Amino acid sequence: MTGRQVAIAGAGFCEHASKRSDVNMAEMVHEAVENCLKNANCDISSIDAFVNGNMPGFEGVNLPELWMTDWMGARNKPLLRVTTGGTTGGSIGIAGYYNVTAGIPGIDTVLVVGFEHQSCGDTSVGLASVAYAETSIWTKLGLSMDKMTRIFGAGAAIGISSYQAINYMKRSGATEEDLARVVVQNRHNAAKNWYTHLKMPNLTIEEILETPFISYPFRYGMVTPASDGACAVIFTTEEKAKDFTDIPVYVNGVASVSNESAILGYSGSGACQLDPCEQIGAVESAKLAYSQAGISFPEKEIDYAEVYSPLPTQELQWLERLGLFEENTAHLRYRDGTTAPNGELPVNCSGGVNSTNSIGASGLERIAEAALQIMGKAGNQVPRTVHTAIGHSWGGVINLVTLMVMSDQQKRKWKGVA
Amino acid sequence: MGKKKSSKPPATKPTAKRAAKPAAKEAATEKRTRPQGGQASKRERTMERVGIVGYYQVKPSMDLQMDRYEAAFTAVRGALDGAKLKRKDLTSVVSATNDFYDGRTISNCFTVEASGSYLKDETKVEMDGAYAVLYGMMRVLSGNHKLVAVWGGSMASCFPYEVTSLLSTDPTFERSTELLNVMTAGGFQMRSYMNRFGVSAEEIAKVAVKNHQNASRNELALAESQDESITLDKVLGSDPLSSPVTDLMYARPCDGMACILLAPEQQALKITDHPIWIAGVGYSQENYYLGERDLSKSRSMEDAAKMAFKAAGITDPKKEIDVAEIFEHFAHEELILSNAIGLSEPSSPSSIPINPSGGAISGNALFATGLVRLIECAKQINNEAKGHQIDGVHTAIASGQVGFCAQNNILFVLEGGEKQ
Repeated sequence: MTGRQVAIAGAGFCEHASKRSDVNMAEMVHEAVENCLKNANCDISSIDAFVNGNMPGFEGVNLPELWMTDWMGARNKPLLRVTTGGTTGGSIGIAGYYNVTAGIPGIDTVLVVGFEHQSCGDTSVGLASVAYAETSIWTKLGLSMDKMTRIFGAGAAIGISSYQAINYMKRSGATEEDLARVVVQNRHNAAKNWYTHLKMPNLTIEEILETPFISYPFRYGMVTPASDGACAVIFTTEEKAKDFTDIPVYVNGVASVSNESAILGYSGSGACQLDPCEQIGAVESAKLAYSQAGISFPEKEIDYAEVYSPLPTQELQWLERLGLFEENTAHLRYRDGTTAPNGELPVNCSGGVNSTNSIGASGLERIAEAALQIMGKAGNQVPRTVHTAIGHSWGGVINLVTLMVMSDQQKRKWKGVA
Repeated sequence: MGKKKSSKPPATKPTAKRAAKPAAKEAATEKRTRPQGGQASKRERTMERVGIVGYYQVKPSMDLQMDRYEAAFTAVRGALDGAKLKRKDLTSVVSATNDFYDGRTISNCFTVEASGSYLKDETKVEMDGAYAVLYGMMRVLSGNHKLVAVWGGSMASCFPYEVTSLLSTDPTFERSTELLNVMTAGGFQMRSYMNRFGVSAEEIAKVAVKNHQNASRNELALAESQDESITLDKVLGSDPLSSPVTDLMYARPCDGMACILLAPEQQALKITDHPIWIAGVGYSQENYYLGERDLSKSRSMEDAAKMAFKAAGITDPKKEIDVAEIFEHFAHEELILSNAIGLSEPSSPSSIPINPSGGAISGNALFATGLVRLIECAKQINNEAKGHQIDGVHTAIASGQVGFCAQNNILFVLEGGEKQ
């Protein structure tokens, strides 16, 4: 039993900002859907099924796909909702792939929609409840309030990521300047991409290093913003993709291998039992997705990477774990310009999550941007032709990972090459 | 893989054996004037089959003496043990939980260990468990996965379901009035059905009576729902929830978890001698606003049934289906949904047994309920249903739903395999 070849036919975004108070959640989603349909030169009648996802706790609406049915154009069509926290975007992309590849009668073209309207709710409250739900158990065990407050810090991304960053910096020898360099590259790239949130074309490393610390080693100038935004991507079969676009982007490998949640630390202190930058889940995801795509030498075969990096150390760490750079060398590649848009392996030319982060859409935006680079339609298009690209996301308590490998060539041709 | 060695590969199955079984079946169900048995193999399927090779249901309870990790572990482990498989055989795990029902953000991030998903391709569907089965099925059909565990459930004893249902409403126009919730929506739906088709409340109460009685024969039913001696008067006289819906017509949310193991056709035949085949699936979502919908019917279930029957090659559901397990949030939904599927009409009740297990009324652990419907169908086909077994079941249908007045419906067609 083998699945059908899947292709990405188009992608669209809405404008991202700190507060999209001109639209509500459903209207914002509609903008992205309209843009996506325009990008793929089709109308809503071409869509057979829908996949929807966001981080429900952040806006305080449970199962919002029910309410926004008509804004997506999903009335009387099959719809599946997938949510996995930070990896939601990646997970719905993968769900879109599986919807098409499964060959369920009547489902050929699938519209995948990810969104987040963070200004409607309180993201910190949403993040705190990642760990908060455990407190009933912990209070029974007699945990003190003092420890409890630390749990909330650990539950939020910045808490756990600080531990991860310190571990990574110790291992690799990356310095604070290296972190700032990653941020500068992202914000410069974002300035050339129309929909992004933090556009800073003249930002310098020195400016970042003057901003105050949030949690060592992260300074205010280094962290991801909270954005409102949405993204939509069309997945379809190989045959139908040619009706939508001249250069279909074939999806050749998908994986979402989960690591244990113990990374957070069982005592809930945030002090980790495992090295949180080791990321076996990402290593295994890469192995699985590359083997599906027939990629044996990721560092040579992959031309473009969109990795999910709200914080700069993560960008360095993921590039290593996903096999694009050798261990502990990623920061050196940023120093020599390998990752710049005109470099050997351009990374996050969209500006990345570091410049724009509407959680439920972010993972999908990585897939969309990588696909658009292959199509040659990206907002900040790299000068040379991209043949193979990856879109990655992470989430949960840094234990969930998704990865999608895309190419301008079909999977079966790939197998011959490898 | 830890499997039982099948005596013969499926391709060389003797046709004589295959023919023998329907004959035996017809004898067992002589009373029912339904040509069946061999039909399944004659059907023109348009979808590849996926095998259910194992299942387990944690007995639902109003206050389960487990936390959700233990319940998830019990469900997944139970299914693996039942199929004589190990965790290492799993390639993917799909869960069905909800952040609001679990009272936490990213409800799947701490269940990785408990549900056996450590270093597995893991994901979560935030819909009823039946949709997680759909996604699990897609994963199997892709050829990427050989054994997928699908688990789901929730702990209603830990969350106020009626409050979270308010949070599913349109936040601008409906939430502020606090008038629309799962109860009032159910009230509108029942009234609409009664008025449109001239059905009395007694007719609907009869469904509740049947399901409560059926639950008393189902050992895995919620204890509170089991009532052999229930009467129409008791149902109609129970506390009103939202007129005309009364307490005993409502499938009250409870605690529970369930798990199903899915495998591709060839793999399933290696794992078990009697896999249950998912032969067809259909799902659809209608629009949200109740005022724009005809609540006395279910457009989404009509579409879902059409899609599922086409995939499975079923042309005459009334004749070809032996039993139906329908996720009914309220007693009247069983009627509305079975009408939409084409098993019955408002004026003539279904001749096919519906919800012999007691349906959702026998235990509505949200996000596990659809999974349990599939498990019940599998049990009926495998002759494992004990107290509520229906004779000669070969083809069964199971449904799941999400949203107010069943806004999104899913329908599965399940078939028994030819025994080797």
